Amino acid sequence: MKKILITTLALLAATAASAAETGTALKNDSLMAEPYSDARPVGSLTRGDKLDILEKKGAWLKIKTAKNSGWVRLLSVKRGTLGKSNDAAGVLGLATGRSGTGQVVSTTGVRGLSEEDLKAAKFSEDEIRKLEGNGISGAEAQQFAAAGSLKPRKLDYLPAPATQGGVQ
Amino acid sequence: MKRSITLAAMLVVCALPAQAFDLGKALGGKSLNLGKTSKEDEIKIGREIAGNLLGAAPLVNDAELQKYVNHVGRWVALQSERPDLPWHFGVIESEDINAFATPGGNVLITKGLYRKLENEAELAGVLGHEIGHVVKKHQLKLLQKQQFLDAGAGLLGDKAGKNNDTVKKLVGSGAEIFARSLDKDAEFEADRIGVVLSARAGYDAYGLPEVLQEIGHAGKDDNRVALLFKTHPHPDDRLAKLGDAIGDRLDNIGEGKTLTERFYKIKN
Repeated sequence: MKKILITTLALLAATAASAAETGTALKNDSLMAEPYSDARPVGSLTRGDKLDILEKKGAWLKIKTAKNSGWVRLLSVKRGTLGKSNDAAGVLGLATGRSGTGQVVSTTGVRGLSEEDLKAAKFSEDEIRKLEGNGISGAEAQQFAAAGSLKPRKLDYLPAPATQGGVQ
Repeated sequence: MKRSITLAAMLVVCALPAQAFDLGKALGGKSLNLGKTSKEDEIKIGREIAGNLLGAAPLVNDAELQKYVNHVGRWVALQSERPDLPWHFGVIESEDINAFATPGGNVLITKGLYRKLENEAELAGVLGHEIGHVVKKHQLKLLQKQQFLDAGAGLLGDKAGKNNDTVKKLVGSGAEIFARSLDKDAEFEADRIGVVLSARAGYDAYGLPEVLQEIGHAGKDDNRVALLFKTHPHPDDRLAKLGDAIGDRLDNIGEGKTLTERFYKIKN
């Protein structure tokens, strides 16, 4: 009986550990005590650092690396590993319902859009007419937005960053 | 000496692959100038390219879905400097993960990409990226550049293409433009515009980055992202660039909506 309990506990512990989503630092950044840009810095993150994602709040993630832990901007972290496939979904994956999407499907016979397909494409008058027929007016779009309580906001375009993305 | 340079330049022009899509001819012999293409011509060109792409991958036969993307897309486009273009949005039958924009305001997203989306804010972000290409005329500029090269090649060729062919005939491979890459900077710019337009529209500004996170998880050997990865910077680089561009600029805009409940789930 005791043995069963220990096994169960061990299993639970393993589950808990794998539930934390892992990620990688996309760039060098500061770790903050709170999820605000004027919070106290408590450490730093170096591009490529492996980390655990503990919590999400707005545009901030609470993360833990081998060295330290704190809050960092959402876009400084890539979930999973850099530039590679990673199907392991953790807390965030579960939270967004993404873990069970079954991404691995056979690609045999699946209709894709290769370069060759694009080159061989033939104009379709029927299809373009359908597309045009589906267009809606600005007024209809406004009604749709209001139905979803979407409120337009003022925001300037973002200037191109001076630094090279991620490489600092 | 001068002559040999000219010859060399001509040879370089000749070495470029012949393009079936010729803007000048497509518009009845008129040549296009950057910034001087009329809205009407732009729409005409876009119609041919979109019709061409739809020949390879038709619209998904789901009226509700098509209506839904048109509502989201038009609302996002209304936040741009070109709210009055005849915007058309569509989901096309392809398992590839990709999206396309043509001059004049046609935006097509594959069923494969649509399936990856979790809420309306993510859809708004993806459509916003494509709307950004249209607003900045990225594809039109690429075509104009191509036309310039073709004109060079044309000097050496026979006059076969001189007769006034119709637009349709000449845009035989119009969709081929989507196999070519835009400038990397054009993609980064479209990302920034996608974020801003969807935020202006009242959505959570991080919809597009969320999709990039998701796409970045696709393996390099995944056929469904082959074309996307070939023609775009890697999603990781796009995320990092967006992060640099956003900084603290979105800190005070307040919370946007994701509208997960309203998001139209595709049936098959």
